[in-house]
Amino acid sequence: MSKHNHAAPVRAPFLSAGTKVLAVIAGLGIASYIYRLFFGLASTTNLDNQYPWGIWISIDVASGVALAAGGFTTAALADIFHKERYHVIVRPALLTAMLGYTFVVIGLLADLGRYYNVWHPMLPSMWQGNSVLFEVGMCVMIYLTVLYIEFLPIVAERFKGRVNLPGVLRILNRFVDSWLTVCDKYLTRFISLFIIAGVVLSCLHQSSLGTLMVIAPTKMHPLWYSPISPLMFLLSAIAVGFPMVIFESIISSRSFRIPPETPVLSSIARYTPILLAIYLGVKIGDLTIREAWPYVFDGSLKSLLFIAEILLGVVAPAVLLTIPRVRRSVAGLLISSSLVIGGVVFNRINVFLVAYQPLYPVKTYFPSIFEIMVTIGLVAALVLVYRFIVMNFPVIAKPPTTPAGVRPAEGWLAESLREVE
Amino acid sequence: MTVDRREFLKIAGAGSAFLLAGEARATDEPQAIDCGQTYGVLVDTVVCIGCRKCEWACNTEHKLTDLPLPSYEDKSVFQRHRRPEHNAYTVVNRFFDPNTTKPYSIKVQCMHCNHPACASACIVGALRKEKQGPVSYDAWKCIGCRYCMVACPFQVPAYEYKEPLKPQVRKCTFCAHRLEEGKKPACVSICPNEALTFGTRQELMDMAHGRITASPEKYNNYVYGESEVGGTSWMYLAPTTFDQTELPKLPDEPIPPITETIQHGIFKSFIPPLALYGILGLIMHSLKGPEQEEINV
Amino acid sequence: MRTSLIIFLLCIVLASAAAAQTQERDLPKLKCSECHTCATPTPENMCLKPCPTLRIAHQKGTTHQLTEAPSMVILDEIADLYGPVHFNHKIHAGMAEMQSNCQTCHHFSPAGKIPPCKECHGAPNSPNTLKQPGLKGAYHRQCLSCHREWSHDTQCTICHVPQPGKGMTSVSSDSSDIMGVPHPMITVPTTKVYRTPYPPGPIVTFFHKEHVELFGLKCVSCHKHENCSNCHDLQTTERRKRTQAEVHAMCGDCHKTDDCAKCHDSKQKPAFTHAKTGWPLNRFHDQLDCRACHPTGKQIGRLNNQCVACHAGWNQGNFTHAVTGLDLDETHREVECADCHADRKYSDPPTCAGCHDDNRSYKDAPPGKLIRH
Repeated sequence: MSKHNHAAPVRAPFLSAGTKVLAVIAGLGIASYIYRLFFGLASTTNLDNQYPWGIWISIDVASGVALAAGGFTTAALADIFHKERYHVIVRPALLTAMLGYTFVVIGLLADLGRYYNVWHPMLPSMWQGNSVLFEVGMCVMIYLTVLYIEFLPIVAERFKGRVNLPGVLRILNRFVDSWLTVCDKYLTRFISLFIIAGVVLSCLHQSSLGTLMVIAPTKMHPLWYSPISPLMFLLSAIAVGFPMVIFESIISSRSFRIPPETPVLSSIARYTPILLAIYLGVKIGDLTIREAWPYVFDGSLKSLLFIAEILLGVVAPAVLLTIPRVRRSVAGLLISSSLVIGGVVFNRINVFLVAYQPLYPVKTYFPSIFEIMVTIGLVAALVLVYRFIVMNFPVIAKPPTTPAGVRPAEGWLAESLREVE
Repeated sequence: MTVDRREFLKIAGAGSAFLLAGEARATDEPQAIDCGQTYGVLVDTVVCIGCRKCEWACNTEHKLTDLPLPSYEDKSVFQRHRRPEHNAYTVVNRFFDPNTTKPYSIKVQCMHCNHPACASACIVGALRKEKQGPVSYDAWKCIGCRYCMVACPFQVPAYEYKEPLKPQVRKCTFCAHRLEEGKKPACVSICPNEALTFGTRQELMDMAHGRITASPEKYNNYVYGESEVGGTSWMYLAPTTFDQTELPKLPDEPIPPITETIQHGIFKSFIPPLALYGILGLIMHSLKGPEQEEINV
Repeated sequence: MRTSLIIFLLCIVLASAAAAQTQERDLPKLKCSECHTCATPTPENMCLKPCPTLRIAHQKGTTHQLTEAPSMVILDEIADLYGPVHFNHKIHAGMAEMQSNCQTCHHFSPAGKIPPCKECHGAPNSPNTLKQPGLKGAYHRQCLSCHREWSHDTQCTICHVPQPGKGMTSVSSDSSDIMGVPHPMITVPTTKVYRTPYPPGPIVTFFHKEHVELFGLKCVSCHKHENCSNCHDLQTTERRKRTQAEVHAMCGDCHKTDDCAKCHDSKQKPAFTHAKTGWPLNRFHDQLDCRACHPTGKQIGRLNNQCVACHAGWNQGNFTHAVTGLDLDETHREVECADCHADRKYSDPPTCAGCHDDNRSYKDAPPGKLIRH
């Protein structure tokens, strides 16, 4: 794994003004989360028999999985297609995916009525091969394991030979150390198998997430109900993978005051308009074949949301990123990638909430304060964990000119910030 | 990064072996229930008088509420259309025949579909179509994802949102425990006018058409549930069309095959995933060696 | 299969019973199509019709009198949640006469004793036939088919004694025999004016009260096929309109319907008084039924107004002259009728000149005592 050698833990103070705000939000979110676990869904959510799924499914789970797509798209590009220069972003993308999926599962637990039964799909006696959700669940579970396995070499790289657990855990030091050594020695030989498995598993469950709502043909608005919804989910997930890596890379470099990997990011951004165009093409073809165009222009709130989703989330960033000047500027990259990310989240909310039309609506669904706090809190917690890991493990590449552990010069920091703004 | 082909295949094979087992189990599951021989109930809304005794019998049988019998004579509940709830598996709603302006009542409960979308959706198989006809629910398996509620085309399953630790999906059980004892469902047993008829689905369909033929002036010539989403165990006769009622207009095709076709297409004997795996492996092998490409933006 | 067998056997029993009676009394045969939908029923496929309600023929020639029927029946075979029903059979039977007699409820009523419901309809929850309601369903459907239409209520305690219960609910009824059946008093409209789509004479004036009081018609004489709910549907504001044929059939029983102008006019007709015929009815004739003078089966027309045309046996010996308002004195009682009533024309004023020469008049010196009635 020589090509990762230039990655190192980032040296920065953990607490900054931003992280303190995040910590407060995360704290409130976790408090809400615990309150939900013990006091039930009725006291914390606005879910009812008409709207069994709310933002915890549409944002925490469905959008979370889509936004974690950066992991497999980057791995495919760098490791399978051997575009070696993108290796610098593989580890951050992997970490994003790993944490993304971990928090998807945490978010899902909040939504599950019997969260303590979440392991049930693993029991062969309860396998239900006809269920789309079963497939999603199994794939997510296996993929999460694969992601942790893929991350193990990074842990080994950091701690092999210097495991020093605190307190009574000291007795495990030698065991953990030898285990890490074995991992590092053998795992690296087979890591490619896991990388390919990760890509396959991602393709499977990213698409299956799109199949979920296909089971409710009579309840779905025709703008979003499509039998090829799985293909569209897969294509949009692939399309959002690189923008997510770009977004996360720019934000973390700003946060840690290290120069962004602009050339790599600009280069990777070239793929995005093509991927978005494919997605848009499939979407247009789907609308045409299903003769759903009249719904686009019927002027209803749903049609406006659909138009906004397509224009802001697909067309606008696709156009922006075809302009080289936009791709070369950090601000341009940040805005365009934000649009793609927002577009995909918008799409998932539309499919899971807006398009879902209960048969006997009494009132419409709007998330409760608890639901919003848990959702925002989990995002904040994810960012904090991410920050903690990149400060303790070799994930982010060292700035090429500055030696590890040395804080960057004031000069280029100012320059980088200017570039961002 | 050096794995020879044999090693590669060996590990890949082992990794997907248990997935294959899952697939095999899913497809081997005997879905061959003869829907004509399952039990069903024919609800004759022409005969129904809207007395709500079925509600009382159901609530008492399942210990849902302990309201006294006389309280069910309150007809003011008909002012709005009620839906089955976690504490009311069946409710009676009143509608008016637009031609005669006469009222008629429709009892709502789980339809116990021949091809239930909820059972197809359920991640752990907690919901399943029994040979006798009921779509049963096993709370012990349930993880509480509520995908069944999303899937149900009749919007029947209700959830115990207020139950913090052991919430259940609640819906009509077709009194499966009574069927096992050789008894009819509680609602059918109590119905004073025998508007509810219990029998095999085939018998009920013959009977429904017989009634329409015998008194065409009383019945709209349509048996709801005979073909809706592939047929349901509970079926309805009415004096007029069902357009005005809360029984939704649904296609004749069963719902599960839509997703199951996609699902089983993607996982057809695990060939597509393995093929993708193989292709990606080949690409990885053939494109080996660091590529020296200029960064070009 | 067992239930089908039971129906089959039941049908055979019923059919053979009916057949036996047919032979005895030469009544119409039971048609196969009464019970079966197909032409050739087999034990495997009997293709039975759902329920024999109103299908099994009420056999003509069997009449049951109201007096044969029980006046009160206590239905308690299946009392469970609710107490038994105290069914006032007499009142209901009276009401049924308005429709189609006993078979309004006893849809299977062969000659001889009418079988009670439970003889055919099984007990509730018994594995009875799917095609025929059990006893509970049969009872409730029978009662509620009318009760529900009238009151739109299905309150159980209207019929049932609450459980645990004692005594019985009182059923109030005014048995004034206005309908020919025990029915509470009905206000009969005096005159009804109908607008019809017949241009030469759009207005039809119907003297309803006259038909009831003057012609002595009973309600059922015209209202032969009325349904209880026609009157008792409390929620239906608009009654079902009778068809042209139905309307004409109602009048056509008595009136010839070939002369439209008889009923149809361009304006409302004045009420009929017998005075218009030139024969104002006296207080005795006024009380009579039209048919008492105008022979039944014939069109009402001009009659011979000679008293003896009707009162053929009247003579001076048996006629109580006091009913005319004049109580003859001793002398005149012995006089022949024609001595005063010239040529026996009783409508003309009597003459005294036949006996008396003093030009006295009847008015000045009445031949007896005048009585005011």
